Amino acid sequence: MECVVQGIIETQHVEALEILLQGLCGVHRERLRIHELCLKSGPNLGLVASEVRLLCDLEQPEPTWTVRHIGGAMRGAGAEQLSVLVRTLAESKVSKNALRLFYSLGYKLDHELLRVGFAFHFQRGAQITVTVSSVNKMLKLHTTDEAVPVTPGIQLVEVTAPASSENYTEVVAAVSSFCEYLAPLLHLSKPGVSTGVVPTAAAAAASLMSDGDGDGDGDGKEVVWHILLSCGLLQY
Amino acid sequence: MPIKWILHWQPNAGTTVNSQILAEVSQCAEGINGIKEGRWKATISFYRAMTREQANANEFPRDFLGISLAEQPGKYYLVLKGQRLVVEAESSIQMIMEKLQSYKTRVALNFEGNQYQLGDFQLRVGKVAPMQSESLRGIVMEMEYLPISSWEKSHQIMGEFFDLWQEALSKRSLPGHFVHIEPNFSEFGLSDQYTSQHTAVQYASIMAQTIATAQSVQPVRN
Repeated sequence: MECVVQGIIETQHVEALEILLQGLCGVHRERLRIHELCLKSGPNLGLVASEVRLLCDLEQPEPTWTVRHIGGAMRGAGAEQLSVLVRTLAESKVSKNALRLFYSLGYKLDHELLRVGFAFHFQRGAQITVTVSSVNKMLKLHTTDEAVPVTPGIQLVEVTAPASSENYTEVVAAVSSFCEYLAPLLHLSKPGVSTGVVPTAAAAAASLMSDGDGDGDGDGKEVVWHILLSCGLLQY
Repeated sequence: MPIKWILHWQPNAGTTVNSQILAEVSQCAEGINGIKEGRWKATISFYRAMTREQANANEFPRDFLGISLAEQPGKYYLVLKGQRLVVEAESSIQMIMEKLQSYKTRVALNFEGNQYQLGDFQLRVGKVAPMQSESLRGIVMEMEYLPISSWEKSHQIMGEFFDLWQEALSKRSLPGHFVHIEPNFSEFGLSDQYTSQHTAVQYASIMAQTIATAQSVQPVRN
């Protein structure tokens, strides 16, 4: 299972978001370049249609492949009230000819994307991953070198954390709590629930990009505290 | 990784396989000073496409196998023999296949038995039985040579050991013999350096014969 929320941010504010995340997470960012192929079962295959994703990590010295199946979201009154989506997820690393295997089994390419950006992985009540990426489409089949943004000027932010049926309430709480720190710059919600960009983003970004204590060292921690104070998330 | 030959028992025409033969084979391994050192197990599952119309099932591969191997407990191998495809995945791929519901496993075979150390060689003798059943439907062996990882370089010494093994076994006058099939690994995109993917391809290659032998075994009557 995993817990997930998404949001969007204008590309011009991504640098500020990176500074905020760096301060909050205390780890270095990792570059992200993932070729995602979404496959769907052909017309006669299966009693119901099925979908599977192949992800190729192009940042590694040798591209590595993962198969991912995203399952249904948790349902019910309790789930409706959660601000975070909880859904089943199954993944497996695979050797590089997995795409040929699924084609031979009767799956067809529905669409493919290239996600380019960065990710932070850290522990804060749960094992949390924040990815910030532009989503790009390929003009010709599989040509990752010639990809163009689907939404120029806008990037996707995703916060995910693995969970189990025993601990998902704690993971949901950890993710929600972390998302509050990002509130000045972007609003995060369940996938499919769009909220647009945040009105305070420009001001928040300006604060993050300026030097908080006037000593010229661009101290990230100073500006993070400044943001959190100015947004009322911390009190003196 | 050390290279390995997978051997399957070929009964003589008109005969079948039974647990007495398995016992004789095991005793032979001990007789040539094989030191018994534990158990091993592999599993092969046969996947079949799920289709709304029966006729459509023929559109999809009928030789899709899922293989788990003793030496790779966290891995699972998917083989499409006709397409010369072998994919190495994590065991979680089985859960993904289950969630997709496009292919289901109807039949599975267990390969299990004892393993023996013989100097630089490791021998595994295994009974083939359907999952959920103890009834023996075949016998396989794994013959592994620890010092070498190159398929080409190992060929001569493996051939010599195989001949020695066949000779030791022939003294027991059993109604059959072990056969080694050598797949064309390069057709599967595999190199000369041996890996578990090579083992998965060898198991897939013996399936036709293993099934034929299994079908020839008479069911036990009370």
